[in-house]
Amino acid sequence: MIQVDHLTVNFGPSVAVRDVSFSVAQGESFGLVGESGSGKSTILRTIMGLNPDWSGSIKIDGQDTKSTSRTDLARRAQMVFQDPYASLHPRYVIGQAIAEPMRINKLPDPEKRTVELLDLIGLPGQFRFRFPHELSGGQRQRVAIARALALNPKILLLDEPTSALDVSIQAEILNLLNQLRKELGLTFVIVSHDLAVISYMCDRLMVMRNAEAVETLSREQLRSRDIAQSYTRELIAAS
Amino acid sequence: MSVIADPIIDPKRALRAARIAEFKSFARRFMRNPLGMVGLVIVIALLVCAALAPILATHDPYLPALSDRLAAPGAEYWFGADELGRDIYSRIIYGSRLTLLIVGLVIVTSAPVGLVIGAIAGNYGGWVDRIFMRITDVFLAIPKLLLALAFVAALGPGIVNAALAITLTAWPPYARLARAEALIVRNSDYVNAIRLAGASDFHIIVYHIMPMCLSSVIVRMTFDMAGIILTAAGLGFIGLGAQPPLPEWGAMISTGRKFIFDQWWVATVPGFAIFIVSLGFNLLGDAMRDLLDPHLRQRR
Amino acid sequence: MSENLVEIENLRIAFPREGGMSDAVRGVSLSLGREKLGIVGESGSGKSLTGRALLGVLPSYAKISVDKMVFDGIDLTAASPKLRRSLRGGRMGMILQDPKFSLNPVMRVGLQIVEAIRIGDKKLPKREAFKQALAVLEAVHIRDPERVFSLYPHELSGGMGQRVMIAMMVVREPDLLIADEPTSALDVTVQTQVLSILDELVTRRGMGLIFISHDLRLVSRFCDRVIVMYAGQIVETLRADRLNEASHPYTRGLLACLPTIDGPLDPLPVLQRQASWLEARP
Repeated sequence: MIQVDHLTVNFGPSVAVRDVSFSVAQGESFGLVGESGSGKSTILRTIMGLNPDWSGSIKIDGQDTKSTSRTDLARRAQMVFQDPYASLHPRYVIGQAIAEPMRINKLPDPEKRTVELLDLIGLPGQFRFRFPHELSGGQRQRVAIARALALNPKILLLDEPTSALDVSIQAEILNLLNQLRKELGLTFVIVSHDLAVISYMCDRLMVMRNAEAVETLSREQLRSRDIAQSYTRELIAAS
Repeated sequence: MSVIADPIIDPKRALRAARIAEFKSFARRFMRNPLGMVGLVIVIALLVCAALAPILATHDPYLPALSDRLAAPGAEYWFGADELGRDIYSRIIYGSRLTLLIVGLVIVTSAPVGLVIGAIAGNYGGWVDRIFMRITDVFLAIPKLLLALAFVAALGPGIVNAALAITLTAWPPYARLARAEALIVRNSDYVNAIRLAGASDFHIIVYHIMPMCLSSVIVRMTFDMAGIILTAAGLGFIGLGAQPPLPEWGAMISTGRKFIFDQWWVATVPGFAIFIVSLGFNLLGDAMRDLLDPHLRQRR
Repeated sequence: MSENLVEIENLRIAFPREGGMSDAVRGVSLSLGREKLGIVGESGSGKSLTGRALLGVLPSYAKISVDKMVFDGIDLTAASPKLRRSLRGGRMGMILQDPKFSLNPVMRVGLQIVEAIRIGDKKLPKREAFKQALAVLEAVHIRDPERVFSLYPHELSGGMGQRVMIAMMVVREPDLLIADEPTSALDVTVQTQVLSILDELVTRRGMGLIFISHDLRLVSRFCDRVIVMYAGQIVETLRADRLNEASHPYTRGLLACLPTIDGPLDPLPVLQRQASWLEARP
């Protein structure tokens, strides 16, 4: 579903991601774990075309993202951002925010689908008429997920989806994401600094450090401590 | 938000209700600022004067009555009469129309121009940004009144030309402001999210960046109105703005100047009018900034 | 004079809201010896406000009422602003989540530490203060103190900045240190290091520490006692090593809803908030 080969991303003179390769199968949930500055979020943004300066190849559904148009890419993959307080337009009511991707892509009946989406992520239909500042952090993150699902993508890229939330809310969001993946057959790429979250959510994971991939593990390998790199052990010990 | 009765049946009304509730909360917070209310009252009074000038005025502002030349303030002429015996009170009332006309003309031309230029420069960055901002710098580098003077001198005196000239000097700060906001907004997650949904640059600028610049622009606009009034009066004073017999406040001061020692009211009354109106706009601007400025708002 | 370093009884903090006051802290009482006390709760539970009230750094529009607030025998409710300021500078210290906001951005960090030392002891010669500053940087396990001494705050990494912040606080040898989410902006591996430094200093110098955090597990590993707050009230006080014996459903819910590396993959138990938790407790 996603195939990343020899990806290198530069931010001016510094290298944010160096020669990273991985692939994610359809319906799989793949985790990128590492500390701040390890380049894990940069990979997600680059897949979505938010970073212009990169080399290597990224294929989604077998199609090179460099030759895919933005609207085409938008219908295949969407992204959920870390900070639910910054990812919703402060002047738009929730309904507008969710319907906007559908309006841009001229999908039929955005009003009706907005209500369906709200129902899907567990918020009542009246929430369409609330402003983001009237919602709690967890509710906002649900709205951000609904907006990402508006175009029916098969892939969801999640950038630290719960790190700005309280732990009790984190559980709700993680449960929701798992349920959505099962119901809609989504493919996930989740970025997190929290190994416990990744172990809970992901079938496979890649540990990153200083812009480079340290190792790729399956969940079973992680849980049986079948680990080759000492850095990964350090991470486990610390969390 | 209990105002939302049955949103599923009538989404349009529910949306309107949400907006009205939002506005009500804004109004409530505004009313807690007494100085802001004073400013608002002054501005509303100005609007009322302009709208109801024929009713409020006691005399014809243009009709000379040479027998009453330079009459002192009294029962007949509340604020006295000028060198042609015209009622100063009535002229001030009619003058508010001219003041509003200039302010309105300048605002509706300069703010949108600045907003569009700033939003485009900020959104695209790179060479687009550099070209637009250097042009802005050139305009900013020349003193306002001097630039306005040069334009009026070229275009010829008159009220519309004065407004045009002021516009040419007033848009660069808006462009700067809008660009600064746009630079922040374009990298925010909600703009990224909508970009990922396939939105065009045009869509992002019009629906996301410009609305977010708007609050800063409105604040700046309210402050600017005071400055515009002063510049317009300045142009009127030196005879390049509104032409006699138009009751423009600056021009009135200019003619009253000759009698300042013996008939003080001829120059003083329009002076006060200018003073009070610019004070009103400044107070209003202060209150608006307290409520709207995104940087101040975060700190609360 | 009481044995406890800090005693607070029935602390209430309210903020003006549209149409009345909203209570943020509702009757918190706690005491602290020379120990490590954790305060845990979600955002909005009032945990940070409690710490700030003790320091006296709440915004002026906050309405505070307290029956008793004593720091080492000093009645803080009756203390003059000047006394409280000098307490803050000397005997009480605070570490915030993000060191970037607490350090002067245009001053070398070493000089900031020197300044802090010389505020505490005005007669100390400059050279002596420099020496002490380097020593304290070493004490917070900074490998190359001379180099770090002459850096500006923006040149520090998050972990380094937090260590400098801790150094700046402990250099005055306070009796009480309030750490408000001191490690939540840091990476997990750095987090452990910073905590062990903090632990070492607290134990060696016999300080009292109030550790405010949203992370129940982290706090229980690090502190002696844990106070759990919910909606402005203390729901439970526990010995950190007896966390498993927590009786309040909120505490238990908080513990259960965290995923673990080796935990089951079933849906996580979600905290069911009950209205009864909000009721005032004796």
